[in-house]
Amino acid sequence: MIPTAALELQQVSFSYVEGTPVLRDIGFSVASGEVVALVGRNGAGKSTLLRLLNGLLRPADGRVLIDGADISERKVSDIARVIGTVFQAPEQQIFNVSVRAELAFGPSQLPLSSEEREARVEEAMRRCGLGGCLDQHPLDLDQATRRFVAIGSVLATQPRILLLDEAQRGLDRDRRELLLRIVNQERAAGNAVILVCHDMEFVAAVADRVLGLADGRLLVDAQVGTFFADAAAARSVSVEQPQITALAQALGLATALKPGDLVDQFSPGRGSGGAAKDT
Amino acid sequence: MALISVEHLVFAYESDGPAILDGLSFEIEAGERLAILGGNGSGKSTLAQWIAGWLPRGTHKAAAGSVLVQGRPWSEVPVRERTELVQFVGQLPMQQLSGFAFTVWDEVVFGPGNLALPAEEVRRRAEEVIAICHLDHLRDRDPFSLSGGEQQRLSIAAALAMKPQALVLDEPTGNFDPESRDALLTQMAGLPRDLTTIWCDVALLPPMALATRFLLLDEGRIVLDGDAATLLAHPRTREIFGLPAVAEAALQLREQGLLPAEGPLPATLEQALPLFGGLAVEGHR
Amino acid sequence: MAVARRAAPGHALLYVPGDGFLYRLNPLTKLTLVLWVAVAAFMLPTAGTWAIALFAFVTGVLAGAGKVFARRLLFTLAPLAVALFVVHGLLVDHGGRETWGPLDISHDGLAYMVRIIGRIAALLSGSLVFVTTTHPARLLKALDSHGFSPGLAYVIASPLLLLEPFSARARAIREAQAARGLDLDGNIPARLRAFPALLMPLVTLALADIDHRAQVLDGRGFRACPRRTVLDAPADSDGQKWFRRLLIATIPLVIAGRLLWL
Repeated sequence: MIPTAALELQQVSFSYVEGTPVLRDIGFSVASGEVVALVGRNGAGKSTLLRLLNGLLRPADGRVLIDGADISERKVSDIARVIGTVFQAPEQQIFNVSVRAELAFGPSQLPLSSEEREARVEEAMRRCGLGGCLDQHPLDLDQATRRFVAIGSVLATQPRILLLDEAQRGLDRDRRELLLRIVNQERAAGNAVILVCHDMEFVAAVADRVLGLADGRLLVDAQVGTFFADAAAARSVSVEQPQITALAQALGLATALKPGDLVDQFSPGRGSGGAAKDT
Repeated sequence: MALISVEHLVFAYESDGPAILDGLSFEIEAGERLAILGGNGSGKSTLAQWIAGWLPRGTHKAAAGSVLVQGRPWSEVPVRERTELVQFVGQLPMQQLSGFAFTVWDEVVFGPGNLALPAEEVRRRAEEVIAICHLDHLRDRDPFSLSGGEQQRLSIAAALAMKPQALVLDEPTGNFDPESRDALLTQMAGLPRDLTTIWCDVALLPPMALATRFLLLDEGRIVLDGDAATLLAHPRTREIFGLPAVAEAALQLREQGLLPAEGPLPATLEQALPLFGGLAVEGHR
Repeated sequence: MAVARRAAPGHALLYVPGDGFLYRLNPLTKLTLVLWVAVAAFMLPTAGTWAIALFAFVTGVLAGAGKVFARRLLFTLAPLAVALFVVHGLLVDHGGRETWGPLDISHDGLAYMVRIIGRIAALLSGSLVFVTTTHPARLLKALDSHGFSPGLAYVIASPLLLLEPFSARARAIREAQAARGLDLDGNIPARLRAFPALLMPLVTLALADIDHRAQVLDGRGFRACPRRTVLDAPADSDGQKWFRRLLIATIPLVIAGRLLWL
């Protein structure tokens, strides 16, 4: 029996203004435990698509299904129990005076006992590396830490599908790897992750699959290796190949998604797997 | 005399809090293209504000040391003169707009207009920066209707219209898609040669495209002051940022003895091709 | 002319693009007229007030502001007229009562209502003629070029410019919180509980904005010099200047006339 997709879009179209479609006939599915990157230039419709997934917008045509059920009649706050969204600007969500309270906000909207809520806060804190600043005001922290407060507050609701909107922006190496670990943990737990991302190096490091939007249409739906190996496909959705992929191609070598892939081809088995540590 | 001198600067936002900047000393000469790089929370945005004269302000003062511009502390520089010394462009495009202009043109003439310059001079400066920043097709647009990338370019144009001696940019491409980033880099490459630029960032590649001198800020201290090759070779660079992928691959091959240990690491595809191409030809596959 | 040639759709501006006589008048002349109308509306007897209101209405329609102008005026006045009629015509005992069909109406109350509506109509017509034919950018430049405080000009311009981004941010906050599970569509207690989650980010972001923007303005030399250079300021003429002076001079006469007459 084919398992029901965690998330499925069926011929979804949307316009903000009558007659000017922003998304046309979008159809794809995401399985549990899959990490999918949504790519394309600004204006291609990525943000709109995210809003259709979490119910902030409703499709003009087509259906959005979670676990096989149409979400069109459900309230946004109900959908939020299944789909967690980390938006680009954490300052738009943060309103509590401590990191602890901010992490506890999501669970407080759910029917949980206080022990369960506490446990979720502890877990989110641990996963997001926030142990040292639980009692600080989130807005006194640096931007990257604030981002992880927002991520933690969403993780604390334990959504089955996680939407990340450019969560990797402006992060240094340690924080990027922390984010990678979080995404990989979600994958291992059987949760689906959809990330909107302009950073192709990050996509190459973390995604299983790539969905490429251009002018509101889904032009690409491919495994990450296949997508990046095809320079034309990347160009069709206005993204660049990762540096290492372009180098490998220029040298006539097999597709490389990370430095270790290229190094391995010069000395098989001795590559250390690249700058991003594998978890 | 250096344009900007940072002398043993120690600064914390809270008087009893940890020092964000912990005894920094360096000078910036006129005409330099400097990049100040640091990880999250390293203090680079704070340092950028000190260089631009946005600090000290209010209760935020140095715990020790100072920043001098042309030999004088910022507090001794009159407001009008400040505007023509150093301009600052922050991260969030919308916050850089004056809130006084209904069109891109008005936004650009706002600054020079404030200095009561002759009308012809104001007009000339505005036309010049609009050309440099490729904003001609947007000149009648409402600044708040522009995309983030366009707003950032407009902010830079508005800053340039003040004819500053130095321009400080704090993660200017942080919120951009690659297309906007490339448009900004093209614009930056077209800036007047004698303009001192200070680019602060957590990413390596964009500033590496423009800067010739790099400071690495780590836990409030400068651990490196050198060129691109020195930057890539420093161990903390790899630890804090991760190297550009081609540099990482080259480093790993060096560690395996497959590439010579001397010579700079490549940062771009163009730099990597001859190096790796030679390796492929030698049959090390 | 370096001003917006069309009203920016993102702004809640009442300005209607056009190029007639009223558009070409210097904004300060129009502003002085509005001031004069405001005073006259309260000082003149009812007939005078209504004459001004009708004159302003006809001017507004003919100037090209047309439907927008008329619609706004009528939609604002109609409910006020109804409310005043009910209160003063029917309920409050002003005397002089008469029965019209099922209604017991006070003549004095009706007269009062007509007087009040006339004043509001005059004020509103005058103001609407002004805002529909004057782009805020032109008003700014007119104030600037005549030496008014840049701070004053900023107070006029920035709310108009910042309203839309502010509203967009409020919407974004609403969405972000809803997507975190905050129930914004529930009963009244639920909505009240949700209020801090909507208000706090808005306020803190607004304060951060203010702080940053103040620095940006300083950096651009705002108020560094007593006067600013203004490009493409709206044309002014000696005739208009004298007209404005005349209007200002007649204001005390109108007030005195009213006090002496009565």
